Amino acid sequence: MRWNENDAKTYQSAKEYVDTAIIPLLPVAGGKEQEEAVRMGEFTSYLTDFLERQYTGRVYLLPPFTYLKEESTEDRLERLKTWTEHFKNQGFSHFLYVTSDSRWRQADARDLGELVWIPAFSLAEMDTNKRQQSIEQQAQQIIPLMTEKWS
Amino acid sequence: MSEKNHRVSRRQFLTYTLTGVGGFMAAGMLAPMVRMALDPALEAAGDSEFVSVGLSEDEVSEEPQRVDFSIELDDGWYSSEQSRSAWVLREGNEILALSPICTHLGCTVNWGTNEENPEEFFCPCHFGRFERDGTNIPGTPPTRPLDVYEVEVRDGMIYLGQINQRG
Repeated sequence: MRWNENDAKTYQSAKEYVDTAIIPLLPVAGGKEQEEAVRMGEFTSYLTDFLERQYTGRVYLLPPFTYLKEESTEDRLERLKTWTEHFKNQGFSHFLYVTSDSRWRQADARDLGELVWIPAFSLAEMDTNKRQQSIEQQAQQIIPLMTEKWS
Repeated sequence: MSEKNHRVSRRQFLTYTLTGVGGFMAAGMLAPMVRMALDPALEAAGDSEFVSVGLSEDEVSEEPQRVDFSIELDDGWYSSEQSRSAWVLREGNEILALSPICTHLGCTVNWGTNEENPEEFFCPCHFGRFERDGTNIPGTPPTRPLDVYEVEVRDGMIYLGQINQRG
């Protein structure tokens, strides 16, 4: 399911089937670091879009969790915890966070859910088919982490 | 003919001009309405466009194989390429192209990924199962068979068209 009205309606009627939330974690920065932040963001959204398309009926792709680069790890984690709690109370039982920002590697998010860090590469120069293939390849690494929780 | 017959009275002149101008205005107003009523008929041609999937007819076997292709989509001002997949297989004399979208809640199904049922399509989300020809297996969440693409063979190559529901 995606963050739009139609899917939100479907979700209301099929709530018991959708138990997994995917949250992309996107850094935001201006100036010199902007380009890198954009690349991470683009890569992460392609990746999460792909996951959503494969598993539409069971996952809900939430809007990205964004933060400025200078926000400390503790603050970010605290906010992410609030998000997670909120959606946990709404009936989601599995959480998957996807990011390209290496600073999440130090964060201990084990009690929140599965945090996957995948280094970003530039997709801007690739044609559609090539992009599709490389995204699929990366996604194959994430999929088992998600599906093994289901069985 | 005498000059007199060609003379147009003021009244006649006004009638002619007003009818003429009025006619133009009426046509201007009616044309968009007629177009709108006919619009679906004019657009239907665009819907059934066939796309080559780069697979020849004799490559298709009883074993379903996945093909990926992309189609051009227009959404408002925004035109984008969307990737699609299909499972192509031979069923008797026919070529069947199944849509990989699970009819339960829209996840993507795969062929033979469930170890217990290798000869079936399997949906990883809620363990829906479909037979080789796309028929849903009772007792699993999906309630109707997988949708099918319209298939056309041109010069030995497979072309896929729009997706249709069955059952």
